[in-house]
Amino acid sequence: MVLLASLSLGADRDPVILQSPGNPLVSFRFVLHVGSAFDPPGKEGLAALTALMLSQGATEELSLTEVMEALYPMAADFSAQPDKEVTTFLGRAHRDHLEPYYSVFRDRLQRPRFDAQDFERNKNELLNYLTKSLPSADDEELGKKSLEWQLYSGHPDHPYRHPVQGTVAGVRSLTLDDVKAFYREHYTIENLQIGIAGDLPEGFADRVVEDFEKALPSGSASAPTLPKPASGKGLEVTVVEKPTAGTTAISLGIPLEISRGDEDFYPLLVANTYLGDHRTFNGVLMNELRAKRGLNYGDYSYIEAFRQDGGSTFALPNVPRRQQMFTVWIRPVAPENAHFALRGAIFYLRRLVDRGMTAEELQAMREYLTSYSKLWVQSLDRRLGYQLDSRFYGTGFYIDEIENRLATMTVDDVNRAVKKHLDRWDFRVAMVASNAPNLASAVEENRRSPATYQTSGASEEVLAEDREIENLVLPIDSVRVVPVAESFQK
Amino acid sequence: MMQAVAASSSGREVFPYPIDVRDFGNGLKLVGVRFDSPGLVAYYSVVRVGSRHEVEKGRTGFAHFFEHMMFRGTESYPEDRYNEVLRAMGADSNAYTSVDRTVYHILASSRALATIVEIESDRFQNLKYSKEQFQKEAGAVLGEYNKSAVNPFTGLFEKLQGAAYDVHPYKHTTIGFLEDIQAMPTMYEYSIEFFRRFYRPEYVTLLVVGDYDWASLSELVERHYGGWVRGGHVVDIPQEPPQSAPRDASVQWPAPTLPLLALAYKGPAFSTESADMPGLDVLSQVHFGETSPLYQSLVIEKQWVDFISAGATDQADPPLFTILTRVREPERLEEVRKAILEEVERIAKELPDEKKLEATKSHMKYDFLLRTDTADSVANTMAHYLSLTNDPTTVNKVYALYDGVSAGDVRALAQKYLGTENRTSVTLVQAPGVGGQE
Repeated sequence: MVLLASLSLGADRDPVILQSPGNPLVSFRFVLHVGSAFDPPGKEGLAALTALMLSQGATEELSLTEVMEALYPMAADFSAQPDKEVTTFLGRAHRDHLEPYYSVFRDRLQRPRFDAQDFERNKNELLNYLTKSLPSADDEELGKKSLEWQLYSGHPDHPYRHPVQGTVAGVRSLTLDDVKAFYREHYTIENLQIGIAGDLPEGFADRVVEDFEKALPSGSASAPTLPKPASGKGLEVTVVEKPTAGTTAISLGIPLEISRGDEDFYPLLVANTYLGDHRTFNGVLMNELRAKRGLNYGDYSYIEAFRQDGGSTFALPNVPRRQQMFTVWIRPVAPENAHFALRGAIFYLRRLVDRGMTAEELQAMREYLTSYSKLWVQSLDRRLGYQLDSRFYGTGFYIDEIENRLATMTVDDVNRAVKKHLDRWDFRVAMVASNAPNLASAVEENRRSPATYQTSGASEEVLAEDREIENLVLPIDSVRVVPVAESFQK
Repeated sequence: MMQAVAASSSGREVFPYPIDVRDFGNGLKLVGVRFDSPGLVAYYSVVRVGSRHEVEKGRTGFAHFFEHMMFRGTESYPEDRYNEVLRAMGADSNAYTSVDRTVYHILASSRALATIVEIESDRFQNLKYSKEQFQKEAGAVLGEYNKSAVNPFTGLFEKLQGAAYDVHPYKHTTIGFLEDIQAMPTMYEYSIEFFRRFYRPEYVTLLVVGDYDWASLSELVERHYGGWVRGGHVVDIPQEPPQSAPRDASVQWPAPTLPLLALAYKGPAFSTESADMPGLDVLSQVHFGETSPLYQSLVIEKQWVDFISAGATDQADPPLFTILTRVREPERLEEVRKAILEEVERIAKELPDEKKLEATKSHMKYDFLLRTDTADSVANTMAHYLSLTNDPTTVNKVYALYDGVSAGDVRALAQKYLGTENRTSVTLVQAPGVGGQE
């Protein structure tokens, strides 16, 4: 059904072309190897703003209004998905419009106008996000971004530390000249990986590749060096004080030294699915904290940066990173249960580390993941995204890697990988709470933290575990309270 | 008892996939859509019950809460066992609730179809959970409410629906009033009654999209759902009287936010008999879409707002046609309102541009085609229309109606629905004294 053709552009940036006869839709995924990790110090947000100037700005020939009018009858998409390492430009159109669509797509990437009015609007969009939305409207995202800030703080700070959208001071300082210079430096042919999928007319893909080879400058900008994230002596806890938070959002994590290109990644993928599969009832965390205790809406864990694709349960492709992290996401809990929930998540993680998985549990996860991962690539567009990610990591097609590696995996492989990578206590923890000083001192002093249930009626088994959890002594390295208004300033 | 129709459609229709239909004697309908997804099926159970059916005091949010309970098991498949079965097939499974419907969906290998029919028919007929399970789930639902409660749009829509409706259950949002959610742990007995009333074959349509064999699917469904007994419960949903004067409401939001403004007008209920709803869909694109004069003026040129949108969702009873915007500079809130209201007056007087109208129809058609590229997305679209009419040909009827909308229709609909007396406006602004960042 899908034929993979490869054209030569040099090194590992060869285009990925998926030819799918009869498919009425055409997808473009152009991955620029530049993201927020490339933001110059003091100019945090520059990569994101540059991407916005392309995805929500004029071209040399067409004003933004004219661009919108050209795309409108096609209902075709064009958007930018910036992340830390790459920025992906996503385009989708019906085959009926391939040529007119492509000419707009091409010009937006190759010939941006960098119009001053577009610049004001896009810069304001980032500033409003950082000053109004993030600190106010989504405590879970605030918790996750606070965690990354903490995870990647050090001397010097790691390029992954700040949000992709930047910092308040960073975005304020940006000028149109900064954007133009950043575009010139990084939007080079060497940094571009082309991905196209659909029922493509003969010669189309070659022509696109030639167009971009001719139009984009050659450059040699290299990716920033990533320091090894610091390890710690115990839990480093930040309580983000937000007076209006009615509940407490919690995220915790540790840096992870492996990613999809490493042998250990796959046994860890199995263990993580068992511990905290995203939005399913397969995970221990979800069953223990939500189903048995009713503490919140969901509890999940991850071994790589994860962004959900719309309302689905699947991950967005094209968020690849050279360095990954292990994180736990505890969805908002009642303030009186925050300390208990934090301990509970660590308790069940420790149980995995100490006891390991059984052969039967491995078999169940193997069956599940081998079939479930096929659903991640049910559309041609998502398949293209995963193919591009496999290039980034230098592996075979990820979905095949999962099937092949899981086929021969033993429970010893899994338990050894868990011991090696997750047997740590130096979690960075971010909690968004209104009762910050109280919560901070309770955590710091390892005070007993019994769960408060809305109703009675937990089983004896659960109550017995509760007594262990509420008394779990966590090795605390540091606890600090940060007012929400001080987050992501610079 | 059996009535099979292969309603294959002509090239002109927007929904090109062959459809199979079977009506069972107990009121259950089975719809199949043959879609090219080798080895894969989407299995949807569409229940025509949503927050619109919550007419009893203190029971708001119950349809959604009950959706959660449907994952708590039966005697044959207790919840752990049910989850194990789904896990073994590597399925993606979840559910959602809206004003008019509750939809349970599974995406899995075609090989698993027999198992899916077995476990789904079992929980729809034999759901059984303890009071303890029920109460724990109430905690999860409260958590779901809480995670969204910090979002100002949640506050805006709660206020808007409360202000616009007096008697219709659309007065509350689908997740329900907070006090009712907090009281849910006490409603165990009511939940059993809720199941007895609504989880009945006459409220349900099964939808299978993708790679299936119709004869064996049809036989499987008959075997597993054939003994399901019709219920007969009918809810008397109070109808909202026509609005006779404009309404205003406001929210002081206790956290930093840009001002939000909603101008909402009661629109027509979904129907394929009248072109009013499709006409308003066209109107919303022509006059409020990205290429409309208002959007270009407020978002792109003046930059007074960071987005503006308008539209109504397809609903069984009259929905709100809502113009929604977020104002960049708080002091411009009234200027923005004035600009929108002037545009509303203008579009009731002037005909829209014919070229824009044609471009809009093309936009809507291709938008549909771009959104229906997998078995799951096709199923999701079909479920939407089945919940409204229980008729799989509805989607093509709606798009045929779009094609027929004229410039005169658009203007007439603005006159008919966007009048001052029919309007509810709500503003949400940051409360005085909130320590925000500038």
